[in-house]
Amino acid sequence: MSAPVVQSAKAYTSLRKKKKWPTYALFFILPAFILYTLFVIVPTLGSVYYSFTSWDGISSDVRFIGLANFVEIWNSPRVRNALQNTLVLTISLVILENILAILLAMLVDKVRWFSKLFRSLFYFPTLLSGIVMGFVWAMMLNYNFGVVNGILSKMGLEAITVDWLGDPRYALLSILLSTVWKGAGYYMIIYLAGLQGIPQELNEAASIDGASSLQQFRHITFPLLAGSVTVCMVLSMISALKIFDQIAVMTDGGPGFETETLTYLIYKVGFGELRQGFGTALAMVLFFIILIITVFQVKVLQKREVEM
Amino acid sequence: MISRKKWMRFSALILGASLVLSACGGGSSNANNAANAPTSGGNTAPSQQEDKQPVSFTIGYATGDPATKKAIADTIQRFTEKNSHITIKDYSETSSASYLDWLKTKDAVGEFPDLVEMRDTEVFADAGKIVELPSDLIELFNDPPKVEGKVWNAPMQVNSPQGIIYSKKAYEAAGVTELPTTYDEFLEIQEKLKASGISPLVVGGKDIFHMGFWVNKFLVDQVYADDPDWNSKRTAQEVSFTDANVVQAMTDYKELFQNYVDKGWLSTGDNQTASFLVTEKAAQLFSGTWMFTQIAEADPNFEFGFYAIPDREGKLNVIGLPSPAGWSISTEASKDAGKQEAIKEFIRFFFEPENYSLYLASINAIPSTKEAVTYESSEQMQVVLELMADPNVNKSLAINNWWGENQIPPQFRNWYYKLLQELVVTDGDVLDYMKQADTEYDNQVKVNAM
Repeated sequence: MSAPVVQSAKAYTSLRKKKKWPTYALFFILPAFILYTLFVIVPTLGSVYYSFTSWDGISSDVRFIGLANFVEIWNSPRVRNALQNTLVLTISLVILENILAILLAMLVDKVRWFSKLFRSLFYFPTLLSGIVMGFVWAMMLNYNFGVVNGILSKMGLEAITVDWLGDPRYALLSILLSTVWKGAGYYMIIYLAGLQGIPQELNEAASIDGASSLQQFRHITFPLLAGSVTVCMVLSMISALKIFDQIAVMTDGGPGFETETLTYLIYKVGFGELRQGFGTALAMVLFFIILIITVFQVKVLQKREVEM
Repeated sequence: MISRKKWMRFSALILGASLVLSACGGGSSNANNAANAPTSGGNTAPSQQEDKQPVSFTIGYATGDPATKKAIADTIQRFTEKNSHITIKDYSETSSASYLDWLKTKDAVGEFPDLVEMRDTEVFADAGKIVELPSDLIELFNDPPKVEGKVWNAPMQVNSPQGIIYSKKAYEAAGVTELPTTYDEFLEIQEKLKASGISPLVVGGKDIFHMGFWVNKFLVDQVYADDPDWNSKRTAQEVSFTDANVVQAMTDYKELFQNYVDKGWLSTGDNQTASFLVTEKAAQLFSGTWMFTQIAEADPNFEFGFYAIPDREGKLNVIGLPSPAGWSISTEASKDAGKQEAIKEFIRFFFEPENYSLYLASINAIPSTKEAVTYESSEQMQVVLELMADPNVNKSLAINNWWGENQIPPQFRNWYYKLLQELVVTDGDVLDYMKQADTEYDNQVKVNAM
């Protein structure tokens, strides 16, 4: 017997009213709830208090300073720069990762030979931690010893070798491309699952009707991937807003402050600059930014799913 | 050119220098304090050890310089081999983070080391993280610096001058026959080196602490040499980063970096600079005495010299005053008598002449102890010792090493160095950037006062 398909939140609420969960089900939820409360909810609520203090993170002297941290955030050019970098990276990552992931998914879906090999190859970078990936790319992009400049030099293109991570014109771009390389494989798997769920007859019928491959993609494949797009867009956006490892390893936020993002700035001010209170206030701001963008994105994408 | 064999003949007693330096420290010299210490870790008999309770403590120190890291790790190994009842857990690890970031992170996760190399002494002392150095250990040293009238550190060495480490071959190839007597002559040498086809200077700008070498050279020459209390005046807003002397210092820095520093300096780590010299990718490096060993190990046949860069008037101003830094005992560790005694044993062991001399020789450092410590010094180290002994050479400190009224906000140093990186790579206006420095400094002072 198949499970009832819940079409909307209203229908779900109605169903929940009809069927009550047994009391003992609460005991299954309780351990996770306690752990989540202790390690997520309580520290998060604690952070709210620290964001109104000048705590340096090491002393026991925690002084309440009202909205001073938030006023400073509002006026700080460094925060504005980090916010700008975060938004540029997020928008670029969401677009590039998803486009590349869809292309890769279609490729491994269509290819007849070595499809498993390609699937593994494309997925492999996602298995690396951000730190490892950062070190590898930092070495490859190193101006002096890196393989990228080495290859360019061997090809007689020494004139266009640049300090990929030390030049402000290329540092953020280098981080962006290496992160796309790492992340696209993960979303490829989700899109691949979506693609394999599309009935083949639809494309066959369209093909008989004379639709080109591009038209088939535009009017059949892409609309039916709407669910996967929503998931991937939200996941890649949240991941991009929280980008940290690559920046810590590849540029340390530099040159100067050129590649600092909000998460990295939170770490730098909180730990390196002994301003835990200010760092926590920044974390609060980032939390609300992610919350607002996510809610907005989910609403828009879900609406699009229904329309399609 | 002087061969390696030849310069090794320049065997000198660091003792000589340390005696001369005692004039800087101002302390009286009572020999054999270490020898008279209650227990010497290195001399503990095996039968005595069997009676002792096992004890362990954690240790943390800066690992930016590989030679220093190895020297300390070797000392720990020798100590634990001789004191089997004591276990030392070494928290130190090679990290891309600055030492303060690393230490703060360790504290945040509840792993603040029991024995810690302390550089931001006043900050951690104010936070109650470290305790005063026990009086029986203070006696080991020549008048160690005090913060708020108290000694918090066992100084690991005396601050020694930084300067130009140059390839003799590159100088010869560029036709440089005389060392500079003014800063303008130094710039002429850079032009000659550049014209000869070699990159004049390598800078390990990937490591933020490395930026301090050059930045402080210019600040010492044009700010601290004339006004050692400049930091306290800046805090009181009596002077500004936009003052002519600071702007000139930072203009010199910017011009030097834009014209003579190797193109990939922001991708070059401090630990790569030695290889740049010995592989002839660059002709010079501005750094400290710890690099001598690294360079000699990278290529034993590489011939190099060392000198301090004079200022425009030909005066020599170098890093060389004492500052409160060194081994500190954590407050938590001090609550455990057994642990504290083990830590004290380690500190005594570390500063015993036969062990301390190995540490000093590894990094070419100047001893901080009252007791005589000798090791064979190189030709380059001779120059350092002469600079330290010369009363006409002005001794100063880096921007972040002053203390008391002259302590800058602890978070300012790295911020300032990063700002100066940005100044170079964006070809920014020095005055605009110094205005930013003023704003940030005042803001940090204000925040710290809250």
